[in-house]
Amino acid sequence: MKLTLANIDGYRQELVTQRKELQSIMVCCGTGCRARNGLGVAEAMGEALEAAGLGDEVKVELTSTGCHGWCEQGPIVTIEPDGVFYTNVKPEHAGEIVAGFQSGHPVQKLLYRDLTTRERKVTYHEVPFYSHQTRWAMRNVGRISPTEIDHYIARDGYKALAKVLAGMSPAEVVDEVAKAGLRGRGGGGFDAGRKWRSAARASGSPKYIICNGDEGDPGAFMDRSIMEADPHGVLEGMIIGAYAIGATQGYIYVRQEYPLAVKHLEQAMADAREMGLLGEQILGSDFSFEIKIARGGGAFVCGESSALMRSIEGKVGEPRAKYVHAADKGLFDRPTVLNNVETFICVPLILDKGAEHFAATGTAGSKGTKAFSVVGKVNCNGLIEVPMGTTLRELIFDVAGGVPKGRTFKAVQTGGPSGGCLPESQLDLAVDFDTLADAGSMMGSGGLIVMDDRNCLVDVARYFVKFLVDESCGKCVPCREGLKQMLAILSRITQGEGRTEDLVAIDKLCDVLKDGSLCALGKSAANPVLSTLKYFRSEYEEHIRDGFCRAGVCGKLCSYHINEKCTGCAVCAKVCPVTCISGEKKELHVIDQGPCIQCGSCFDACRFDAIEIRSAP
Amino acid sequence: MSEIILNGRKVKVRKGEFLLAVARREGIEIPTLCQHDAVEPAGACRLCLVEVTRPEWEGWSKLVTSCLFPAEDGLIVSTDSAPVHKTRKGILELLMARSPNAVPVRELARQYGIEQCPYPVQHDGDNCILCDICTRVCQNLVTGAISRIDRGVGKRVATPFAEPSTDCVGCLACAKSCPTAAIPYEDEGLRRTIWGKTFEVASCAGCGAPTVTAEQAAWIEQSKGVSREDQLVCDRCKAQKTAAAYQKLAW
Amino acid sequence: MVSKLMHVTPSKCTVCRNCELACAFSHMHGGKPTAARIRAFADDQQREGHHAVVVCMQCEEAGCVKACPAHALWRNPETGAIYHVEARCIRCQSCVAGCPFGNMRWEAAMEFPTKCDLCDGDPVCVKFCPTGALEHR
Repeated sequence: MKLTLANIDGYRQELVTQRKELQSIMVCCGTGCRARNGLGVAEAMGEALEAAGLGDEVKVELTSTGCHGWCEQGPIVTIEPDGVFYTNVKPEHAGEIVAGFQSGHPVQKLLYRDLTTRERKVTYHEVPFYSHQTRWAMRNVGRISPTEIDHYIARDGYKALAKVLAGMSPAEVVDEVAKAGLRGRGGGGFDAGRKWRSAARASGSPKYIICNGDEGDPGAFMDRSIMEADPHGVLEGMIIGAYAIGATQGYIYVRQEYPLAVKHLEQAMADAREMGLLGEQILGSDFSFEIKIARGGGAFVCGESSALMRSIEGKVGEPRAKYVHAADKGLFDRPTVLNNVETFICVPLILDKGAEHFAATGTAGSKGTKAFSVVGKVNCNGLIEVPMGTTLRELIFDVAGGVPKGRTFKAVQTGGPSGGCLPESQLDLAVDFDTLADAGSMMGSGGLIVMDDRNCLVDVARYFVKFLVDESCGKCVPCREGLKQMLAILSRITQGEGRTEDLVAIDKLCDVLKDGSLCALGKSAANPVLSTLKYFRSEYEEHIRDGFCRAGVCGKLCSYHINEKCTGCAVCAKVCPVTCISGEKKELHVIDQGPCIQCGSCFDACRFDAIEIRSAP
Repeated sequence: MSEIILNGRKVKVRKGEFLLAVARREGIEIPTLCQHDAVEPAGACRLCLVEVTRPEWEGWSKLVTSCLFPAEDGLIVSTDSAPVHKTRKGILELLMARSPNAVPVRELARQYGIEQCPYPVQHDGDNCILCDICTRVCQNLVTGAISRIDRGVGKRVATPFAEPSTDCVGCLACAKSCPTAAIPYEDEGLRRTIWGKTFEVASCAGCGAPTVTAEQAAWIEQSKGVSREDQLVCDRCKAQKTAAAYQKLAW
Repeated sequence: MVSKLMHVTPSKCTVCRNCELACAFSHMHGGKPTAARIRAFADDQQREGHHAVVVCMQCEEAGCVKACPAHALWRNPETGAIYHVEARCIRCQSCVAGCPFGNMRWEAAMEFPTKCDLCDGDPVCVKFCPTGALEHR
């Protein structure tokens, strides 16, 4: 059926009425849950439902959702509209879940157990990980089936598009986005309204709109989750953007590693086309717009906008100088707007609810919410969307459940390889684009990697520099050659061969990178090093001067020893991969320093604080 | 016509003209290693950095590559300020570590007072500094037989799969436009080898001297509309033919 | 605008080769006449009035310009001469192959093509031609 401006509201109303009586059993079939046999669970649920023979009086629908952003608890099964939330579901649990559904008594053992109170939580509204969040960009994530366009329409999908096409001029749309204060979620934080305005005013045709789904920061997966779970939201944002700037062709650039996102987006595009929401004369209006999917080849640098455009053009994915903006000369040298997945999905929300509603949340300079991918040494690894201005402490301790195993928080790395490491003293920073930059880090795409006292910050800096050495496109000298030399110096320090003059050399290299590199990746490549040097300089000095890595990570600069607190439980001996720990039961154990590889497994396993890290013998 | 202030001097510029071109016209030297007039600027070597500011930036300034930065009215440019000099020197030190035998690199390093490279020097280092002149020349002006492959420190220039390329016409433009002579080739008599492919150079129909490869002649004929027959005769024999025609006319 | 052109009158040429020498010296080839951009050819049978001088005619539709992939050959609108712009040249020799008259030469020692540029509008060879076989008008 073709939707038009005249019939879309009626169609939605019908869907809402229909779905009101419906109970939905939703199995997460996102990438993470699939890896843990989510498809098996979905199949078993289908069989169990059939076997139960629920009859006609219960209207139930079994469907799959995209990623909920909490993969470590997957496979996740939810039952809507109540929001019953099951975690770690296996196919063999299907019968119990259906029985619980029939009886109205949820299966206790599959409910999430609160970290502190140890109580079971029935619905996800009660789970702290979700209850502390404000999910705007992820409003439909996990709540609808990504392959059912009707699910999206029923949840006010394409309502903003209809509103725009029915009664707003392109300039009014741009103004609304500008008024909302929407800033680019991909990393730069550039004002989206301003970008759209320049592209709308630029001469040249055709104009292009590009959605950047080449999420490359280690540990970040919010764009994947959104594309997999709410593809229509991304499409709607792009279509509205295209109308605003006068684009006729759009591209979604998806990284190679996201096949499910591509599948869902393709399905969504086909469904939208069939219903008259994409293609010629959208919703019966004069506006036409098409979208193509471009797949990345696995290069981090292609997440950089100018390199991404070269890649779409079929050229080597290398950045260009941005002295002339893409809004004037972008893809194929035509006016182009490029925004991130998360930016586009905010657009329908802004136009539906109004700019004031969006701008009422957030800080003075950064409006709305931001999705973070919180990973590392936290109890709850996953996607967390909170209003801009939420402090790091709230994010890490209240929502993500704090640092596990009673260890001490040491640092949080924000913004991926281009961001920086912030210490405990910066935890009360109200996170937005500007505060993070002022603190020597950046928002980036919203990756947060939490580290505890078992992480060596010199090694972390080395890790990120190594990542960038591998991912640098190699076009410009500072990034290609400078990072290589930087890695050599950092590796030397972690190997115990650091020299006092190394810190001066690092400073100098950071300056060349910052001032000399061609693109933002090179210019910001110094951030992990500069921020660790700023906040954790003593650790560098300890490595160089004392030959000691207090975190016990740099093998040549530490040794593990057992002290008198040892109870002789022998857990350490069991986990030691090179069996170099010996001792009688209930007696003090000893580590043989010869074969020890300083892996720290014993340290992490010991419950009595009996393992000590000392400098290397 | 717009006006900029270049090293303290007012200079008239055309809107959109690149700063490097303006500076060179004004006789101001800016070092470059990846600039070639025949191809679009790339901004790869970063040596042509200059410092730009505007009165309304209130003291804030930035370093930009002059080969790519368009001149615009009111811009204040310094081509050799302390930050420019420092960054150029830092870049040259990095290049010295990579390609210590490349003549233009050594020459610039000397100019910038680099006596000892602070990094471990690869004494047998590749002369290729990845300026991309060869690839831009081949891709934009000739047949696009070579390209930059791999990335980061592993980046290099090669034909597809590093195999002899069907597109290469053996014109040697890549090797001869290389500023550091980093592309090996052999060109002896009627045999020419480059990028793993050996060509036969057509011998002049008149005297047997080498002219161009048959592949290049075919490419010029096809893409430029110049007849192959004219190409496969050496310039001296062609001139002689011209002379003969004059002599006939005179009689 | 019609520029002044080189005119050769074969009947006046004595193959004295002053033109070649003048060209070679003024273009800094160390006076090596074989590198000159103008060439005098004697008649096979040494007949007076049958000799000829060959020099670039700055063709309207020039083969060298057509063949050059780098747009390194440009016409100076004032003198009408086609110049070889060194900074744009990629040294592929296409121009040498492209000129049907043999007036685009390859200077092997410098790995460069050379051609007559009319000495910026005042050709030296003409001044040194004792018989008036060469004219620039």
